[in-house]
Amino acid sequence: MISERKPAKICRYGMAVDIDKCTGCGACMIACAVENNVPPGNPDATDLTGITWLRVFKVDNGEEYPRKESVYFPMMCQQCGVETPCYLVCPQQAVDVDPATGIVFQMPERCLGCRYCMAACPYHSRYFNWWDPKWPAGMEKTLNPDVAPRMRGVVEKCNYCHGRWHAARQRAAEAGETEISPGDYVPACVEACPAGAIQFGDLNDPTSAPAIAAKDPESFRLLVKLGTDPKVYYHSKREWARRIGDPSQAPSPKEPSRG
Amino acid sequence: MNFWGKVPILAGVLTSLCAGWVAFPWVLYRSRPQPVEFSHPTHARKAGMLCVDCHAPREDGTYAGVPPLSRCAGCHTANLGPTVAEKKFIADYVKPKREPEWAVYARQPENVWFSHTPHIRIAKLQCEQCHGDQAASPQPRPYQEDRISGYSRDIWGYQVAGGAVPGMKMDDCIACHRQEGLAHSCLDCHK
Amino acid sequence: MRNTRRNVLKFIGGAAAGAVLTPVPWRLITDTALLSENWPGVPRPLRGEVSARYTNCSVCNAGCAVRARCVGGQPVSLAGVKGHPLSRGGLCAVGVAAHQLPYCAGRLTQGPVEAAAGVIARAAANCNAATAGTPGAVCNPTESIAVLDLRPGRTASWTYRRAMGAVRNGLYLTAAGPFSGAAVDLSKTHTVLSLGAPVLDGWGTPGNVLATRANFRLIQAEAIESRTASLADLWLRIQPGSASALAMGIAAALKKGSVADGAAATGLTERQITDLAADLTQHGPALVLPGYDCPGAWALNQLTGGWGEAVVARREAPVPEQWKNCAPVTGLESVPDGSIRTLIIDESAPGDYVPWGAIRRKLVADNPVVIAFAWSPDGYRRHALLTVPTAVYPETLEDIPAAIDSPAPVFRLAAPLIAAPAGVVNPPEFVAKAVGIDATNALRERADAIRKAGRGVLITYADGRTRPVAQVTPEDFWKALNEGACWMDTESRRTAPPAMDLPVLDAQPFEHTRMSFAVLAETATAAAAPVSPLMTKLDRESNLRLGRSRAALHPETARSCGTADGRRAMLETALGKCPIEVVVDASVPPGVVQVAASPEVIDICGASARARVAPL
Repeated sequence: MISERKPAKICRYGMAVDIDKCTGCGACMIACAVENNVPPGNPDATDLTGITWLRVFKVDNGEEYPRKESVYFPMMCQQCGVETPCYLVCPQQAVDVDPATGIVFQMPERCLGCRYCMAACPYHSRYFNWWDPKWPAGMEKTLNPDVAPRMRGVVEKCNYCHGRWHAARQRAAEAGETEISPGDYVPACVEACPAGAIQFGDLNDPTSAPAIAAKDPESFRLLVKLGTDPKVYYHSKREWARRIGDPSQAPSPKEPSRG
Repeated sequence: MNFWGKVPILAGVLTSLCAGWVAFPWVLYRSRPQPVEFSHPTHARKAGMLCVDCHAPREDGTYAGVPPLSRCAGCHTANLGPTVAEKKFIADYVKPKREPEWAVYARQPENVWFSHTPHIRIAKLQCEQCHGDQAASPQPRPYQEDRISGYSRDIWGYQVAGGAVPGMKMDDCIACHRQEGLAHSCLDCHK
Repeated sequence: MRNTRRNVLKFIGGAAAGAVLTPVPWRLITDTALLSENWPGVPRPLRGEVSARYTNCSVCNAGCAVRARCVGGQPVSLAGVKGHPLSRGGLCAVGVAAHQLPYCAGRLTQGPVEAAAGVIARAAANCNAATAGTPGAVCNPTESIAVLDLRPGRTASWTYRRAMGAVRNGLYLTAAGPFSGAAVDLSKTHTVLSLGAPVLDGWGTPGNVLATRANFRLIQAEAIESRTASLADLWLRIQPGSASALAMGIAAALKKGSVADGAAATGLTERQITDLAADLTQHGPALVLPGYDCPGAWALNQLTGGWGEAVVARREAPVPEQWKNCAPVTGLESVPDGSIRTLIIDESAPGDYVPWGAIRRKLVADNPVVIAFAWSPDGYRRHALLTVPTAVYPETLEDIPAAIDSPAPVFRLAAPLIAAPAGVVNPPEFVAKAVGIDATNALRERADAIRKAGRGVLITYADGRTRPVAQVTPEDFWKALNEGACWMDTESRRTAPPAMDLPVLDAQPFEHTRMSFAVLAETATAAAAPVSPLMTKLDRESNLRLGRSRAALHPETARSCGTADGRRAMLETALGKCPIEVVVDASVPPGVVQVAASPEVIDICGASARARVAPL
């Protein structure tokens, strides 16, 4: 299905997240749910069965008061660039890695709900629709037409707001261009963050925030040793926070999980 | 087994093939005519209109598709010709201000993202290349939809013996995209 | 051929083989899958033209500038307006999904509208008759009719004052406390001591707080590890309920008195309190921000040198002269107990929730009449005789008072983006009409008065322009405000607010008794107003916030109360009880119940309370 000719411009979209700036307000999580038509949680949903394409965790340095320090840590799909685990295991080819943008694109309409990808993902970024999506009466009017709602029994995850990418491509075509202008495509979480903690850009563009973060010694990525080449660069001035990315050194997070 | 022994088997196979290739499509698709017997040739040739005069782009660049009633009512407040179809249209839709329930042949499912803008602005395609020469057909063909999935036959169903009907199936889009070297990934067209 | 069973079976076998060569089985599989993707359970988004509309968010006083992405006129997502001098493009978690508020389950759309109008009109007439000494008057001349405005400072507030001014014994009440008519200037502040205020979690204007964060050192004095405490430069863990004692201790330190009482009550050392006081004076201008349980601590700013710098007086936006002959602003606290016969509560634009007990004691003992204007079923509707439904953002046309961290007077409208349902009313117009005053054009009159005063600038969001107001015609001014704009006064003269008395407090050492101490958490977002159902992402589908009806306990406290994680329990105080779900969290101090604020919980907890958790 894929044509031989490579795309004219190859972008590798990534993110730079400054966890020193994140205040854990959750505006990004809600903006993500609004943009991507994620349904409100079922009354029986817990933190293990809910759908939060973007989820903010609280991680602390393992000490007690007064030496306790905490950071808030936004987690979304890391868009693995090399040997993408979910792409490799899917029996339905419901995951596709786009060479033009680097986005690992989940197609719920092909998914049959085996959840093999959820087991394969080392970052727990994939979510399953355990229940039928239900909005209160009338709230369907507020759904975003650029993103297709999913049915029960399929897996979904962050796609870097592909609906906004499509809209940016259309605006570019309107202006007669074949390539989108860089600032025109901004995912919902990046736009919503009041602290500006999440930045988005093309890692192949050396002036973009993620490309600069990639070179910064105070930046780190998660589980680099697995070799998945995640495209989300986290940044912190604090040494203990930088060790979050390496499980052999990370402080133990104390967040309870009620599944 | 001798020949006579194979007859029931062959009969079964033949019945199955007929049922599958002839009867099944006949049963599977529900057909209905368009609510108005609209004549493209009258508007395109006699009135000298172009496609974009009715199927116009909106302010934001997207295409509105089938025009709303206000576009038709702009001219057809009274009978402009002798046809019964027009009289019926004015009586049933223009006077009571009711939108006709047009059936859109090429309406894609929810998971497809399609934008006219790059096809028209960048690729410079003509309407007829994908939608067929509407000006030639005297009245719109009936709309056929799959009873189970609800999709139009144009986008999901093979016309084995139906003649050359312009299709809007994924294969038709892929064929042209592949030719132009633009088929890179599912993200190009799906949402 | 004979009709034998074998022949029939051969026929069926052949048919099955033939079926595989037809499209039937494959088609039926895929069509069934497509059917399941498209059945009525899966909603379809609307299609239409995409456009942008601008407004201001009226869910809280921050009034952040909003750009709404609309499809066919219906807002489908909201974002901030970058470059706005106050909100700086920020929107909080509540504001980002606020376009879904009109569709929340249980939202009120029907109510006894005519009955309420009649009741208010009769009550006003009775009060007039009673005070005039008319024989046969139904109500006692000392009893009054009052409006409790939960978000003072709006144009609606002036309408209520005018309405109550037209009725003898009419009262206009607020619960705003001793600190009003003043604001905080974060850009001038170098040290902030917050006594439990959620500075980084919904206080003030989030965009402004985060933009100025680098200017100041934040010291959070709080019993629990709130979001602000976990992010502050210094977190002082004080005993629950001792914020006022800390304020008194710092006042004593600043006056070179003894801090022993303060240290005993808060659990800090004397050295910590004297160092804190020194910090505030040496690294000023300093700001002392009270939490919900110690509003009197504002007065402490008079001693730290921040009065007039970090804490400044702020005027209201200009008001038409003819309105000023109206009822004065009266604090709820100062009304004599048992003196209000008819109380109207405007909960349509909610501010802080006042515990019901504080309101009930001001009402007459027998058959008081309480009319609530609300759109949510969770607030005062539980206590009111009649509840009249109102519109909710973004259906409303209303102005938003200035936020606490906006030193300049501002005027901005929340313009309606969708139509309100039939059957809802506009509360100030409704009340005014019931007492015989026409206030339908109040917002326009206010805008005209502002334009006439000629001061300040108009910031329009669609084009990002800032123009002096004198260059804009009154028509254009009104039009711009309705299409998403903000008026801001540009006078830079800063003056100190009127002097406040320091509260006197009997500081008592904290005692650990069998009764735990209930501390309200998540005050900023949970109590203010019901929120979009998507908030489950934060409090049920993740552990970022403590959800409503949940209370967090230290593991030992949970054990000693006989409960465990996930169990249902009853939170009991001297004022009542309410059911909760227990969450065990080791970061909660022992002996403290950290309970998410909600109207039910605030009713029984008040500012701070002794509480018991009993297993169900």
